[in-house]
Amino acid sequence: MINFDNSATTFPKPASVRNAVSLAVGRFGGNPGRGGHKLSREAAEQVYITREKAAALFSADVENVAFTANCTYALNMAIKGILQYGGHTVISSLEHNSAARPVANLAQYRGVTYSIAKADEDDDKTIENFKSLIKEDTKCIICTAGSNVTGQITPYKRLAKLCNERGIAFICDCAQASGVIDITLDDGIDFICTSGHKGLYGPAGTGLLITNGKFPLSTIIEGGTGATSAELEQTPFLPERLESGTVNTPGIMGLGRGIDFVRQKGTKRIREHEQMLCSVLTNALKKHGNITVYRSEKASYLPIVSFNIGSYHSAAVTEYLGRRGFALRGGLQCSALAHHTLGTLETGVVRFSPSAFNTGQQVNMLIAEIDKIAAGRVSL
Amino acid sequence: MPKSLIAMTSITYAMKAKRMLNNKGLYCEIVRTPKNLGSGCGYCLSVTKEPAEIIRLLEQNGIPHKNILSRAQD
Repeated sequence: MINFDNSATTFPKPASVRNAVSLAVGRFGGNPGRGGHKLSREAAEQVYITREKAAALFSADVENVAFTANCTYALNMAIKGILQYGGHTVISSLEHNSAARPVANLAQYRGVTYSIAKADEDDDKTIENFKSLIKEDTKCIICTAGSNVTGQITPYKRLAKLCNERGIAFICDCAQASGVIDITLDDGIDFICTSGHKGLYGPAGTGLLITNGKFPLSTIIEGGTGATSAELEQTPFLPERLESGTVNTPGIMGLGRGIDFVRQKGTKRIREHEQMLCSVLTNALKKHGNITVYRSEKASYLPIVSFNIGSYHSAAVTEYLGRRGFALRGGLQCSALAHHTLGTLETGVVRFSPSAFNTGQQVNMLIAEIDKIAAGRVSL
Repeated sequence: MPKSLIAMTSITYAMKAKRMLNNKGLYCEIVRTPKNLGSGCGYCLSVTKEPAEIIRLLEQNGIPHKNILSRAQD
C-alpha cells in the first residue's frame, strides 16, 4: 500500500524512529520523574532530550514544551485553558474539529461566545475579517497555520501580530504545518499546538503544546506530576502542570528521532520535495475537464492537494484507489467548517498528502489510476 | 569530595540545571530528595562546587530552585 494520506499520519516512519521506540520499550522502562532510582532517572533523561529537541525546533524554552497525546489534546488544553468559563474567541473558517468542537462545547456549556472569520484566498481580507470580529471580551484567536483539507496557508504571522497588538492570545494549530514550514514562537504565536506523528515523523500518540509563557493556562486534566506531591492543588509550573499521569516514553523517544530526521533533511528540502509531488499530480489532474482541484492561484498551500472527479463522491474514489493500492483520504477530513467554506459538505474531497518518503514514480502510478476514473474507463 | 544538595522545583528544571552546569564543566548529579530533608517527590542537584555559586548560576540562567538542603555524605 502506498500512503498518500500523510496528513492523517506519516507512514512509513524513519528507521531511527522505529529503533527509538524499540529501545524505549526494551531499556528505558522506568516512569520518568517518578522516582529516584536509576530506571526512572534514565527515562526522564530520554524524555528531556526530546523536550530539548522540540524546544530548539520551535524556538521555545525547554520547560514550555509539554507533551500531549496528539494535537487535539494540545488544542483542547490551550483553548479551554484560556477561555475557561466565558469570554469570546474568533476562529477561522478552516478549523479542524479539534479546534472547532472544543469551542462549540464551551459555547454550549460554559458561556463562551465565538465568531467565525472567513479565511479568504486574499490574506489582507482574512486579516480584515478577523479584525472586524474582535470584541472587548475577546480572549484569543484560534487559527490553523494551514488547512488540513486544502493545505491553504493562513496569514498566521499577521494574526499573531494582531493578537499581540490587542493583548489577546493566539492559539495556532500547526498539525499540518510542522515539519514542512519553519513555524516557531518567534512568529509571535502564543500557543503552538501540533501533532508529533505527522510532519515530525514521530509515532502515533504524540503531540506537543508549546507556549511562550505569556498567558497562564488553567488545566483540564489534573493528577500526579512527580512534583509538588504534598499539595492537593495542581502543580503550578510547566511543563509538569500540563503533563499529569505517566508520559508516553516510547512515543516521546520516537518523536525525538522524528525531529532529528526533520532537522537533518531540513523543512525546506522536505517541503520542496512534497510540493514537487503535488505539482506533478495537480498538472495531471488539470488535464481532465471533469476534475475539480481545490486550489487558487491567489493563495499559498502546504503540500496537500484536494480534488473531486466528476460527480463521484470522494469516498467512492478513495475506495477504488484503496483497492488499487493507494491510501488517500476521502470524506470530510474531520473539518466540517472547511468543507462548508469550500461547498463540499455533500461530496467531501479526495485528499492527497505526500511525505518525504513518497516518490515521483508512486505519484505517476496514482495518476494512471485517476486517469482511468476521469476517462470513464472504470465505473465506481 | 564533599557534596551539597540543592532542592529543585521539578525534574525538568533539575535536568535543565544539570545541562547548564555540565556545559560549564561543573559536576552535577540529580538525586531524589532524601526523605529526612524534604516532603513530597522532590529532586535535588548534588553538587561539589560551593552551593552559593551554583545558586548564582541557576538564577543567572532563570532556573527556579528551592533551598540548599545540606552537605551530603559521600
